[in-house]
Amino acid sequence: MEKDYVLDLLHKAVDHGHKLGADFVEARYDDLTLTTINYTNEQVKESSTKQRRGIGIMTCINGSPGYSFTPILETDALKETTKRALGIAKSTESLLTFKHKYSDRPIIKDSIEHKVKIHPMDVEFEEKLDMLKRGVACAKEQVDAQSTIGLWGELWGNKLFVNSEQSEIYWTPLLFDMRIVAIAMTETTQARGSDGVGQSQGMEYFKLKGKDPETIGTNAGKYCNEQTKAVAAPGGKQKALVGPRMAGVLAHESFGHLSESDFVITGMSPISDRVGEQLGSEHATIIDEGISEYGGFFLPYDDQGTKTGKTVLMDKGMLVGYLHDRSTANKMNTETTGNSRAITFMYPSIPRMKNTYFKPGNLSIEESVEMVGDGIYAVGTSGGQAGLDGAFLFKCSRGYLIENNEITTPIKDAALSGQILDFISQISGVGKEMDLFTSYFGGCGKGGQYPLPVGLGGPSIVVDEVLVGGE
Amino acid sequence: MTLNEIRDKILHIADQTIKYARDLNIPAAEAYVYNLSNTNLTDNKGKIDSRDGLIQGIGLRVAIGKQVGFASCTGFEKETIKSTLKHAHSIANVSPKNPMFNGFVAGTNVAKEGILDPEILQLDSDSMIETCNLMSQEIDLSDRRLVSISYGVNFSYGGYAVATTEGCLASSLVTTYAANSFSVVTEAGDRKTAGDFVQGREIKPVEGISSNGLKKALNSLGSKAFGGSEVLPTVWEPRESAAFLAFSFINCVSGSSYVEKSNPWGDKLDQQVAVKELTLIDDGQNPESEAGRAIDTEGSPKQTTTVIDNGILKTFLFDKMFGEAADKATTGNASRGGFFGGIPYENVPNVEPNKLLIKEVGKNLDQQISEINKGILLTGTPIGLFTSNQITGDFGITTNDAFLIEKGEVVHPLKNISIAGNYFETLNDIRTIGSDREVSGWPIDAPAITYNKHTISD
Repeated sequence: MEKDYVLDLLHKAVDHGHKLGADFVEARYDDLTLTTINYTNEQVKESSTKQRRGIGIMTCINGSPGYSFTPILETDALKETTKRALGIAKSTESLLTFKHKYSDRPIIKDSIEHKVKIHPMDVEFEEKLDMLKRGVACAKEQVDAQSTIGLWGELWGNKLFVNSEQSEIYWTPLLFDMRIVAIAMTETTQARGSDGVGQSQGMEYFKLKGKDPETIGTNAGKYCNEQTKAVAAPGGKQKALVGPRMAGVLAHESFGHLSESDFVITGMSPISDRVGEQLGSEHATIIDEGISEYGGFFLPYDDQGTKTGKTVLMDKGMLVGYLHDRSTANKMNTETTGNSRAITFMYPSIPRMKNTYFKPGNLSIEESVEMVGDGIYAVGTSGGQAGLDGAFLFKCSRGYLIENNEITTPIKDAALSGQILDFISQISGVGKEMDLFTSYFGGCGKGGQYPLPVGLGGPSIVVDEVLVGGE
Repeated sequence: MTLNEIRDKILHIADQTIKYARDLNIPAAEAYVYNLSNTNLTDNKGKIDSRDGLIQGIGLRVAIGKQVGFASCTGFEKETIKSTLKHAHSIANVSPKNPMFNGFVAGTNVAKEGILDPEILQLDSDSMIETCNLMSQEIDLSDRRLVSISYGVNFSYGGYAVATTEGCLASSLVTTYAANSFSVVTEAGDRKTAGDFVQGREIKPVEGISSNGLKKALNSLGSKAFGGSEVLPTVWEPRESAAFLAFSFINCVSGSSYVEKSNPWGDKLDQQVAVKELTLIDDGQNPESEAGRAIDTEGSPKQTTTVIDNGILKTFLFDKMFGEAADKATTGNASRGGFFGGIPYENVPNVEPNKLLIKEVGKNLDQQISEINKGILLTGTPIGLFTSNQITGDFGITTNDAFLIEKGEVVHPLKNISIAGNYFETLNDIRTIGSDREVSGWPIDAPAITYNKHTISD
């Protein structure tokens, strides 16, 4: 679809909204292509391409917002969609106590093409399948796998944004995600090992040391092999070294969601009205940013056309901010943080995270292990859950015992659980190595919008006490 | 547009798509045409989020012998459909053979369609606001313990059609309605949440939803620490019972995981997997359930399948491809998008339950509680169910929504506790299956269930 044609459509939608009486209109266009290859047990289980294209319109009247969308890229359909959005906005005005209002902002005209050397769209299907085959072959060299899974996912395309301020923003999302999984049976259970990379980068990334398909596959096989000999994790409260991936999931799921301003402003979050309070240890600094030097997901603008920057949520343990869209920022008399995001044109944008991570410290891995002395090293995670009361439970899918200042025996799946504010207050040291990643398989879920690409990760974190549930 | 007009439209587009495929000399193709109007309103302390729109697109599978490619597009624009067909064809061309694939559904064979409520088509944002007002009128906002309360209403109508080059041309329509309320309360540092909802294929009364949810949250205040670790019986309210069982059952009844040898019950056919009182049915023909449809998402008729009969595993659930790989017929369980709500037309078919039902047996929740000398009552969905080990069945979960039971009485709410056990062992150690099954938001509906022993600790 021609960019100029779409821009013209978006402007027409905004103009039509004003003609119908709207105070403010945002028009958003997504044209995304998503490609999946699922190579299970050395068969192509799925090879697919999804084209996701359409326009969403947000209209606002007297502070009341309404959202509608259409996949039909024609003027009449856009006008009808705008009318529907305004109809909802007018109807809901009677319920409204929270006015959807923005601070004034100058016009933004920007066009950002995320340039990479080798774009995934320029690489043939066979080459990507071959990467999975090479990864799986390497995994099988490490372990007698009962089954293997190779996954490839890529997302790229164009996003356009126009609003009543006459802003015009164009940018090009991009991410890839490659994973290898090996599964082996032991006498009593199943052992599973996995490794992968997910970044907003070009295919040249796979030429970096340790990022090639062979290394990813070898790691998956090696981790699986380790799990066949793993021992049960010691249960109860433990000292722990939490690896970058697990730390990232904790920063995102447990703390990040509680910082989202819609939860804050409605009182849903337990950290509402607590800015300025010391909620964590002096080692805990949590950041959310759009474009990070550490990698992750490339997000130059949010879906309200706000340029993303670096948002410090917690500074040395003190809560200093929340994640805002334009309306919550206005309501709370602060600056927006560029966190208004929607998974597709089919949804209105809501406060969501960008790339969320603990700020790195200065500990080497050896120093971190020594700080723990005796405890566990929780490296990989197969996910988890967190509640709005701050409770969390995350599964450590790859971990080791730390005994007498050394990383020793692999441990079986173990659950780390507790209250996130207790966890953050127990952080006693932070590593210097960063790993920030994004994902195509999985992502952030909120308000029915799943999976939204985000970045998460961090350094390793030393925690004086966390509840470990061994199995 | 009426429901009949929607049906005619999606059938026409599916049929046209197959004609385009033939024009393009594509040897075999399947078109999944999806069209759903959806409207949603959430009122959270006067912060309104509303959305309305048409979710519309086509998922196309193309086969060259056993080589299969998939592509999808939004909208029904003719040139876009044709280019998507070409794209799926090109993917099939470069894809290796899938030995399990033996063609798309042939011929048209439909089962019973569920209830369609034409009044849902007449709903608009004004009626949703009226519903939110009704729910909010039940609430005393002067109660200082109430931190936050939200109300939500959602309705949709539309359906999907499937056409194949093998002669299948069929459709299924649905109307849905849901309303919910969710409360957050605090007192003396204790913070609790609870909610309630109604959902179905027809417009439902919303009286009692918000007051019941709030009452439940308020009753949970004043919680005390459990203090220590003990093996005790646990009694699960019906919806929590459904949540607890959903994560193990979804994998254990799956014919795809059986074929792919990742199903822990893979060698348990015709064997006892649960107490003899437990019968589990997959119901794709309940006219009141959203899962009750004429066809599944690849065009096979939906059906009702008894999966566990008096504790004995009788079958797995299959779509066409995995059924044939296991020398079985499809059970009408091809799903797209799945429980986590992916956009259906963007997904290839996958095996998932329609709606699993635990057959009701004996005593209701209150009767089950009255028989417990010391135990735990679970009233909310625990955290960590997703991370249970689906192979070994080991689980370790945590919850802030539990009560202590002593001498047949609910004594007091508990602060956060963890619950550990093993699904496969606990299914064979059920004390009571209840008589009070409720509709849940999970892929399974269950009554209250009491298990003999789980490890409780804090």
